[in-house]
Amino acid sequence: MARRGGLGGFWNEERKLSLQVFLSNKPAVVGLVIVLIYIADALIVQFAPWLLGLKNPYALTPNYINPIPQPPSWKYPLGTTYPGVNLLTAIIKAIRVDLGLSVAVVLPGAGLGIVIGIIATYIGGWVDDLLMRITDIFFSVPYLVLAIAVGYVLGRDITSMIIALIIVWWPLYARYTRSVTLQVRELTFIEAARAAGASNAKIMFRHILPNALPPVLVQMSMDLGTVMLVISALAFIGFLPVSNFPELGYLTTLGLNYINTAPWTILFPGIVIVIFAVSVYLLGMGLMDVINPRRRSSL
Amino acid sequence: MYYIPTLIGLTVMVFAILHAGGPYKLIAPYINPRLSGPARQEQIQMLIQKFHLNQPIYVQYFYWLWALLHGNLGYTTTPIFSGPATEALAIFFPNTAVLAIFAGVLMWIIGIPLGTWSAVRKDKPDDVAIRVFSYTLYGMPIYLLAVVLIIIFAVYLKLLPISGVVNPELTVGLSWYVNGISYPTHVLIIDAIIHGDWKLALNAFEHLILPAFTLALAAMAGVINILRASMIEVLDQDYVRFARSKGLPEGVVTKKHARPTAMFPVYTNFAYTVAGMLSGVVVVESVFDYPGIGYWLTQSMLGNDMGGIMAGTLIFGLIFVTTSLALDILFAIKDPRIRLG
Amino acid sequence: MSKEESIVKIRDLRLSYYTRRGVYHALNGVDLDIMRGEVLGVAGESGCGKSTLGLTIMGLLPRNAAIENGEVMVDGFDVVRPLREYFRRSKGKFKPTKNDDVLKKLHKAMMNIRGVKVSMVFQEPMTTLNPVMPVGYQIAEVLLQHNVSLLAKRRLARAKATREDMKAILGYLRGNDMASMMDYIKSRRLEGIEDQVMAYWRRRDLHDLVKEIRILSLCCDAVNPMLRPGLSYAARTNRLPSAPVLRQLVRHELVKEGYRKAAEYLGLLGMPEPEKVVKMYPHELSGGMRQRVVIATAMINNPELVILDEPTSALDVTIQAQILDLLKDLKQETKAAYMFISHDLSLLYQVSDRIAIMYAGKVVEVGPKDSVFKEPKHPYTQMLLEAVPTLEPHELKGIRGEVPDLRNPPKGCMFHPRCPFAMPICREKEPPTVDVGSGHKVACWLYAGGGEKK
Repeated sequence: MARRGGLGGFWNEERKLSLQVFLSNKPAVVGLVIVLIYIADALIVQFAPWLLGLKNPYALTPNYINPIPQPPSWKYPLGTTYPGVNLLTAIIKAIRVDLGLSVAVVLPGAGLGIVIGIIATYIGGWVDDLLMRITDIFFSVPYLVLAIAVGYVLGRDITSMIIALIIVWWPLYARYTRSVTLQVRELTFIEAARAAGASNAKIMFRHILPNALPPVLVQMSMDLGTVMLVISALAFIGFLPVSNFPELGYLTTLGLNYINTAPWTILFPGIVIVIFAVSVYLLGMGLMDVINPRRRSSL
Repeated sequence: MYYIPTLIGLTVMVFAILHAGGPYKLIAPYINPRLSGPARQEQIQMLIQKFHLNQPIYVQYFYWLWALLHGNLGYTTTPIFSGPATEALAIFFPNTAVLAIFAGVLMWIIGIPLGTWSAVRKDKPDDVAIRVFSYTLYGMPIYLLAVVLIIIFAVYLKLLPISGVVNPELTVGLSWYVNGISYPTHVLIIDAIIHGDWKLALNAFEHLILPAFTLALAAMAGVINILRASMIEVLDQDYVRFARSKGLPEGVVTKKHARPTAMFPVYTNFAYTVAGMLSGVVVVESVFDYPGIGYWLTQSMLGNDMGGIMAGTLIFGLIFVTTSLALDILFAIKDPRIRLG
Repeated sequence: MSKEESIVKIRDLRLSYYTRRGVYHALNGVDLDIMRGEVLGVAGESGCGKSTLGLTIMGLLPRNAAIENGEVMVDGFDVVRPLREYFRRSKGKFKPTKNDDVLKKLHKAMMNIRGVKVSMVFQEPMTTLNPVMPVGYQIAEVLLQHNVSLLAKRRLARAKATREDMKAILGYLRGNDMASMMDYIKSRRLEGIEDQVMAYWRRRDLHDLVKEIRILSLCCDAVNPMLRPGLSYAARTNRLPSAPVLRQLVRHELVKEGYRKAAEYLGLLGMPEPEKVVKMYPHELSGGMRQRVVIATAMINNPELVILDEPTSALDVTIQAQILDLLKDLKQETKAAYMFISHDLSLLYQVSDRIAIMYAGKVVEVGPKDSVFKEPKHPYTQMLLEAVPTLEPHELKGIRGEVPDLRNPPKGCMFHPRCPFAMPICREKEPPTVDVGSGHKVACWLYAGGGEKK
């Protein structure tokens, strides 16, 4: 049962079943809803900040008159953090920044990785070996450390952070793409296509890729969360020498000196990240179920 | 098998990253800021000569590698340590090793039973609880985990210290603990035991608990999820059914028949776990002010200290490559299919 | 087979699998008996529920299998009772997770049945053995679980036997005087040695001289004096001693003994170099060798019933013949009953005493093999036999139509959509099972007087 044409080529019944499988996974549905809320937040802040009444959507608004963190109240539903920043609006602004940065890392990183993974499997032989050794080398330095090293050379700012993380991320995709492509290549219907005399390029792009890419795309969606974790961790250890930058990790550091008296300054920005990362993960697991024929049929 | 080429590649990469900024960036820290005009230019020329920066890039690489192999990693200037980078390594690395090993052991002895249990009790309330736990850990930035643990155990329950390695009052007047550096192993807890100071050792241990748990919990999520998934798959295998058909108790079936094979995905993914943990080390050490290489690296980053960044990057790479090699060997021993086939 | 009691008695067994795509009614009222010491062949197309039937007897069902009705008595123990009761209690809200809890309890309750009274050989020798355990351990495990005393006795007997003992025993063996040999062993309190002696003596691949040397060398294998009390305890009570360190040591000794016994048993099954094989891992063995290991595991504790689920289907034809010969030998030498599940009718004709034909989760015809093969009654059996290819050319006829969708099986007789003799009543009511003589039973309206008699 070769699913020719990948996701687009499902028969109608299959598509219905996919939907059914996805909807039967309650956590995944919840994840999807939450992710959509985050995306909506980011889009609104980007294009229509007046909808939420944000006067200064791309930076934090400090209030030095009363810089000490205030507990949640009617005026500040999530309280304030140092220096008098309203946490609710700060988080709304920060979601846009973090989501945007994640996408800015995952899309090029995954694109580069996928292309290199495909080249490795398509050409094979020593090229494959060499490319995989190169990913080994990139992989050998922990991503946070590598980002710090790159940041030193390029100067620590947002651009260099994105570049650093792309450098860190592509090897993962190269390897993953390679492994799924190799798996698909072993499947019977590829043999059949080969026996039918299809050319190598045709087999690769018409038969292998449409079947190999869905898992990679799911991985990408799941990585949006992971990358957000890394970005906020980098911001937390002081990678970005900026102030008033609405980023969740940076937002967390603002309240660090008030850990004894104002834990909400740390917990609220943190929880926003946790919810996003978990939602994306659950969503990804649900999508995995949909594209995994073995899980499709199980109860 | 690929150990040596990967190591060479690692040095090339670190070299390339550091030289991507051009020669000036490399010598900037050595320029005397008080000089100006021709004197400054003269010093720059001298430094370029000294570091062979006027040579072709591959020649520079070999000079650099030569120095590296002779233990010359340059100098580091950070608030916590100033001096030769190799000396800094000798001080910070043992601390990180103790922390990481402790965390690794914790992760293993908590994560493996949880993953097994979760799979055996699939879809039941306890499995759901374990999954919520592991998903939350998975989605938690490691600094948040650290801070949450601090808030719970140090701020509210007041059971454990917030950060640092030791209560400074206990170290007053100690001959083997100077300027925050303990001797001879540089790991306070071990040194305290060597010197028979049990009270200090206990205090140092208390300071170690939170960082170690933070690291362990952060790395645990992956292990639990992978083990659960593979265990569920293995529990459906014919040989597990065959083991049951022999009338073995469920405990033996899961622990002796299912788990050893279910662990292989955990082993093959262990490199990712180690990588995650090493990244976590950087954050955890800086949150807890724990004097390890991660803390040193963040301090170097904040102070734009090239020596520290270079040495830190190299040593992290070296640790990763070496542990993954050791793990590969260890796990190959565990799998007869690899060992013999 | 005259009048004998049954070891397995299945009555009106109805089982469904609950899946995302619907409820599959896999077994729809199975009635079947397996007599002690007989070979019952179970045949049918794939998907007719014959494997499910074997698994039900073992209680090895997946969590989504619901027992809707019926009972399966294995030597007086109703295997499916808890599952049936759970299904009744659930009142249409069947939850696999709850069913799983029931299954876990069932596994515990059946510990002393599986591997002792009933054991099973699965279809795929490639996947039945644990890839990371030496095969010898996997065989010995059955004894370590259920028959520690045998292993302990064997070990102690080897420690106690002197060279003179072995010479005496050899003398009896040469004279083929088994009764006196057993008397001698009893009087010398060497129980456990006979197992080992016979294992060598019955080997066919060894020269007599080799056998004698091996038997003589069974003596004087001294045992660590610290372990002796633990071993005697195990021999007496069939349990390992509970003292922590001693327990491990005794277990270790018995594991070694288990490997020995496993090697002896594999030798009896015609495995070349069994002493080496027991230390190997499954991937080092060929398919035929693995299936021998599986069979040894199933047989080593002398069960009363062995369920063979397509034991030869995954093997080459030549290996298949070897395994069949082996099973025939085992049938002669043991008193066990066999349930031989296969889709290959000619193979079943060779090995079985009785044959049961299944269709869509129901036994449609069962009886002595000659009766079933020579005078098939059920239209399905007749058509099935016509579809068997033989060496002499004859017209092969397929069966028109397809196996029914078990999510909504046809009303009445399951076979009526494909049956050339279908009558109105076949579409209405399930046919009863009638005896057409000498234990030959068939479930078909043609014989139950539903329409005109034939």
